[in-house]
Amino acid sequence: MKLLIIEDEQSLRENITTYFNEDGNVYENCGDLCSAMDKLALYDYDCILLDIGLPDGEDFTILNYLKAKMKSESVIIISARNSLDDKLKGLNIGADDYLTKPFHLAELKARVVAVFRRKTGSNKGILVFNEIAIDLQGRTAAVNDIPIILTRKEYEMLLYFIANKGKVISKAALAEHLWGDEMDMHSHFDFIYTHIKNLRKKIMEADGKDYLQSVYGIGYKFLAA
Amino acid sequence: MKLAAHYNRTNILITVTLLIIGAVIYFLAINYIARSQLDNDLSEEVAEVIDYVSANHKLPKQVDFDEDQTVFIETNQKQIQPRFFDTVYVNPKEKEKKPGRAIESIIQLNGSYYKVIITVSRESTEYLLQFVGIITLGLMVGLLLTLFLANRYFLSGLWKPFYALLHQIKEFNISEKNNFKLTGERVDEFVELSAAIDDMSKRVSNDYQNLKHLTDNASHEMLTPLAVITAKLDILIQHERLPAEIYEQIEDIYSATSKLSRMNQTLLLLTKIENNLIIGNEPIDLDILLTDKIKQFQELILAKQISVTENLRKKEVLVSKYLVDILLNNLISNAIWHNNDYGDLIITLDDEELLFQNTGSPVALNREHVFERFKKGNKSEGTGLGLTLVENICKFCGWEISYNFKENLHSFKIVF
Repeated sequence: MKLLIIEDEQSLRENITTYFNEDGNVYENCGDLCSAMDKLALYDYDCILLDIGLPDGEDFTILNYLKAKMKSESVIIISARNSLDDKLKGLNIGADDYLTKPFHLAELKARVVAVFRRKTGSNKGILVFNEIAIDLQGRTAAVNDIPIILTRKEYEMLLYFIANKGKVISKAALAEHLWGDEMDMHSHFDFIYTHIKNLRKKIMEADGKDYLQSVYGIGYKFLAA
Repeated sequence: MKLAAHYNRTNILITVTLLIIGAVIYFLAINYIARSQLDNDLSEEVAEVIDYVSANHKLPKQVDFDEDQTVFIETNQKQIQPRFFDTVYVNPKEKEKKPGRAIESIIQLNGSYYKVIITVSRESTEYLLQFVGIITLGLMVGLLLTLFLANRYFLSGLWKPFYALLHQIKEFNISEKNNFKLTGERVDEFVELSAAIDDMSKRVSNDYQNLKHLTDNASHEMLTPLAVITAKLDILIQHERLPAEIYEQIEDIYSATSKLSRMNQTLLLLTKIENNLIIGNEPIDLDILLTDKIKQFQELILAKQISVTENLRKKEVLVSKYLVDILLNNLISNAIWHNNDYGDLIITLDDEELLFQNTGSPVALNREHVFERFKKGNKSEGTGLGLTLVENICKFCGWEISYNFKENLHSFKIVF
């Protein structure tokens, strides 16, 4: 996957790169509009992470440019602005997703993977990870070809974990993904444990591997292999 | 008391005092003049009597002195100072007693001395005084009435621009465009006043706008550093060889960061609501939305073993879905977080109102401060902005929210 990260905050840019740095992904970063335009003119990317609100330029210049050039890059907007209007405008001009700062890297990764998956449409909508197969359209999962019945939250969790396989995911990130920021969890994450426990049990009952590990009470990790 | 009334009171008080003093002086003066006139006449009468006596060597008959009454009394006194005095005058025809004025003097006739007393009626003088008095009183009343009416109509007309301005000031809203204008005003003071107020309001609004932009920008600018902190933490926890207590610290940083970011979002939203920047009303079935929300909070409700009672009747409202979502999220999550384990939550919805009642702390919240920013309970882990947001959303939708504590139930009532 070839990614272009357009973000003027250098440390954030670096952290995103560090977190995504695996699976033979190719990254390019730039911190301003000019160099971003140069890169876009020269190369094609699979996905662009775009911070609207760059110091030099109109917010939607890049999106408009991509649209004008009929380029096929998926775009995920990263913005400090949480206004509905901005969100709708961005999505209307052709962005694929919109993420408000601050966000967890795991969330960003999950969104990028989802966008990428939608774009490539690989394998007829079936996501395969070792013995686990997920039917993205039917929203069902099977382990060793044995269907397992997951609740909505468990299903979402499984997708989220697979997108972030091999990474430690904090409970805060997980809670935010599952319940959104609408529901204020007040940092009580006991509910997560129940869901994790159930998901783990269901996978293992179908003779799946024990992928889910608890990490020092701070979060969970889905083993990459 | 109004300024005009103050002015009227002073005005009338001074006028009346002056008029009374004037009337007294007037009365005394007229009285004095009339009396001097009478005394003059009496002196002339006495002179006539003396002339008569020295010419005719006898006392004049009563009839010679038309209305006046003259009495002669023989006396031993040879000399007395002529003296004027008030007495009673009896009208010879009507036998009526009237106030009179008399003079007393001595005349000499054929070697004997007579005391002569001439009495005249004072009736005409009294009549004159009365007449003058009535005219004066009439004038006084007329003057007062005129003053009163003038004050009432002319002065209040004069103050009209003042009240117009006052009304505009009362309507002043800092977040809206305000114009202090008096049309066709000719009184310099008021023109100046309205210009000064207009100037002031413009400056205030301007400062307010600047401050708002500052807050807005600051809140936005803060989100990027928050994103950096979150990202750094996400990277940090990938190092699985850190000591366990470091993870505890990291968890606390996570929670503080998320609180900060929520606070920030809420503040931004509050600003937006206060500036009417939320658009897009749509019909919403509140009962259906409430049922959905309760489902959404099911895990929390189960975790605290709260029993939820729903008395929902169909109710459609036309508001922003976005805001109602936030409103209900806040109210439900409040009612759960501040509830006891095994507590109750009763949600009642009908055509007029929406009522959230929940068990919780046995002490009532302070009704005056409950919706204020950053006023929160000791145990609350929230941002302290939830209820402020709730109140502002209600205000924005034109609803009224109130808090009550009765029979161990905290209740928040929204009246549509």
